[in-house]
Amino acid sequence: MNRQLDGQLGFLVGVNVLILAAALVFVGGSFVNLFNFQSMGAQVPELGLLSLGVMLAMISGNGGIDLSGIALANLSGVMAVLLVPLMVSPDAAPVAYTLSFAFVALVAGCLGGALNGLLIGYAGLTPIIATLGTQLLFTGIAVGLTGGSAETLGYIVPMDDFGNMPFWGVPLPFALFIAVASLLAVILRFAGFGKRLFLLGSNPTAAFFAGIPVRRMLFTTYMLAGVLASVAGFIIAARTSSVKWDYGTSYVLVAILVVVMAGVRPAGGYGRVICVVLSAIALQMLSSLFNFMSISNFFRDCAWGLLLLLFLASARIDLTPYRRVRS
Amino acid sequence: MRKLATLLGSAAMCALLATPLFAQEGNNSIVTVVKVTGENWFTRMEEGVKAFGEDHKDVTTRQVGPAKADAAQQAAIVQDLIAQGVGAIAIVPMDPSSLEGVLRRAQGRGIKVITHEADSLQNTLVDLEAFDNTAFGAHFNEQLATCMDGKGKWTSFVGSLGSLTHVQWADGGAENAKKHPEMELVSPKNESFNDANRAYTLAKEILRAHPDIKGFQGGSAIDVIGIGRAVEEAGLADKTCVIGLGLPKDTGPYLESGAVDSISFWDPKDAGYVMNILADKVLKGEEITDGMDLGVSGYNKVAVTKGPGEGVIVRGQAWVDVTKDNYKDYPF
Repeated sequence: MNRQLDGQLGFLVGVNVLILAAALVFVGGSFVNLFNFQSMGAQVPELGLLSLGVMLAMISGNGGIDLSGIALANLSGVMAVLLVPLMVSPDAAPVAYTLSFAFVALVAGCLGGALNGLLIGYAGLTPIIATLGTQLLFTGIAVGLTGGSAETLGYIVPMDDFGNMPFWGVPLPFALFIAVASLLAVILRFAGFGKRLFLLGSNPTAAFFAGIPVRRMLFTTYMLAGVLASVAGFIIAARTSSVKWDYGTSYVLVAILVVVMAGVRPAGGYGRVICVVLSAIALQMLSSLFNFMSISNFFRDCAWGLLLLLFLASARIDLTPYRRVRS
Repeated sequence: MRKLATLLGSAAMCALLATPLFAQEGNNSIVTVVKVTGENWFTRMEEGVKAFGEDHKDVTTRQVGPAKADAAQQAAIVQDLIAQGVGAIAIVPMDPSSLEGVLRRAQGRGIKVITHEADSLQNTLVDLEAFDNTAFGAHFNEQLATCMDGKGKWTSFVGSLGSLTHVQWADGGAENAKKHPEMELVSPKNESFNDANRAYTLAKEILRAHPDIKGFQGGSAIDVIGIGRAVEEAGLADKTCVIGLGLPKDTGPYLESGAVDSISFWDPKDAGYVMNILADKVLKGEEITDGMDLGVSGYNKVAVTKGPGEGVIVRGQAWVDVTKDNYKDYPF
């Protein structure tokens, strides 16, 4: 198993190097410079965080997936925009406003994730159906609250700086993304929760008889995914100084692509955070490269679809014989 | 190894496909960013963008847009254009407020920003509007008055009360109707929520409440379709006047049957061309002044006012009226 892990990691590092090399050949200096790296770095977190949520759901097994991520991200942004000005004035106390904004968004994400967790963990609904339902529900609430139009925050200095101003050359959303990912990696690797999650994903029946609280585990997993989505919601609000219900609707499928490309097993039980991070970065670089080379965005969608199929197919080809021989 | 080989292969394929498409761009490049690629409206706009590039060999022009209408994807495209360092970005924002941050960054990098249909946007140098919305509403009403011989009941539709432009058209129409004392406005500003079916049901209700109604002014581009269907079914195609914003291809059948009398819109081809004219002027440091002639019909005497930010708003009188006789000239 260990050799296979490192294989996926090495493969993703290779992909990143390859894309960079391709960029050097085709585009040259304007791609490989600090400004573009900052620009790409600032774009990664939204998709990356949603992908981490999908990864968690997938690891938990039983066809786990979270389709409601971006809808919940937008909803938590909307909640924060509507609620926070009632408590803190953005002009008088911009720092307090930013912090309360983050707090309200996180609470909203927590609640939304808990709803997913209840439906999947306790009510036993199929994840794809349950999260499709909550996706529509979250979108509906966000539309209802805003009347369908964008809510603008105005120019709030600390929040805008967070979203758009690099600190020591590093875009802050990217730093936050890496911090969150590292924390998650530590939890999955060393905490009891992580170990139980992998066991649960590999074999839910065995996990149940081993005394793992399956329902509570699923509940916590989907709630965590919700929290990750709301962090994405905060970053979106900071970067665009506005929130809207339909921002990033195309992220749903791309997040799944990132996760599959990272080698997370769709059937559950296996996945690495660092692979998801590298995979999100690779996809971002490829996407920017396509834009630099003015390749049609339709071709990009087509390329994403091909990649997804390719990775699913290769995962199947590689794993099956290997496992049969062992057992 | 196998995966690596597949990947190398596909990367090489991508590279092969990409090479001829790639062109070096510099400070004299104008990139038009639209809401979504592949929609008739923006395909038509691309004709204008290309035409400008052919007429002016000293600049390169191209149009890009996301494959799906998603503000996040549009912002990502702009972000990459900034990193690439193009000369000017001419953009039709999907959602103006979500682009403020990224456009501020663009301007910080010395990229000239031109916008279209975004007169609330702050971080732009020039915003182009095809016309003044109140004047457009008055224009509808004037046509309606001619059609109705200046008397009878009429009503107005809007996509939603939240769509600022639609409300301005309805109000502009009502204001103009005061010139015709015998015209009576009944139950104004019906909300169709950009849904032709809803417009149809609303129009049927109005026909029941006011069987003698003579005129309808549509707001959203599909209003006239719904109203046209209701009027046609009621057998009133010849007795009523239906006028409003509409697209020639969609409204064609109703124009043929006479249920819809005339539609107006602005030609996206001209809008695309004029955006590039403005970008070119800004790049060359030329000033844009009130009453200027931009050399495109409808933009011969533009009104220039101050925008909400540093920039200016340029307004033309670029509406195009289309009836049964000439709708086929506009393939969108």
